[in-house]
Amino acid sequence: MKTSYLFPYRFKLISGVLFAVSLALFVTYYCADKYLDFEYKTQVFAIVGDTGLLGDSDWFGWVENSIVDEILFTIVIASGLIFAFSKEKTEDEMVASIRLNSLVKATIANYVILLFLYLTVYGFSFLTVLNGAMFSQLLIFIVLFRINMYRFNKFASHEE
Amino acid sequence: MHHMKNNIKVQRAILNLTQQDLAERIGVSRQTINAMEAAKYVPSTVLALKLSKLFGKPVNDIFDLEEGD
Repeated sequence: MKTSYLFPYRFKLISGVLFAVSLALFVTYYCADKYLDFEYKTQVFAIVGDTGLLGDSDWFGWVENSIVDEILFTIVIASGLIFAFSKEKTEDEMVASIRLNSLVKATIANYVILLFLYLTVYGFSFLTVLNGAMFSQLLIFIVLFRINMYRFNKFASHEE
Repeated sequence: MHHMKNNIKVQRAILNLTQQDLAERIGVSRQTINAMEAAKYVPSTVLALKLSKLFGKPVNDIFDLEEGD
């Protein structure tokens, strides 16, 4: 069966490394935001951009913004999607079945966690939850799929 | 969850093929052959027909529903 919407296997290693590194940097950037002032400000086009908490909203205009997190997040999402949805070394229908199974479990797990956090985290701390929610499903899927593929390969590691 | 019995392992032995040989002949990984022989994976119709063609036996002679299905 053709599953042509998957990226080629040769992208797997490079996208995996990029995803791990950029995600670590992205999380570090958010956690260390208060302590280190690492930013690169420039003019960016915004569909909507707020100036401060009580500032006015600018629609369809240019606003000044530090783009370090934008660059990191672009790499996280692009490399994460490619790593998650590139072919396995030996791609067949059982791998497709394991992928689907992992995707269903990841989606359910993600929303159970998000619902729990929605009902238990309040105030500004909820922003952290929202930040995590931007990539949590992708991350959970990648982890689940890798675990399931590892078990699949290990289960059949020796011929009977 | 539906289960099926199969005799892929027997058919493979008749043709004197290893799991790897069979995997290459029908275009799947060796792990998939292993999972099918252990009845942990139910193949698609396409894959079942490929096995049928290779073994020269009808699908019904290779796969069988288990009790209760």
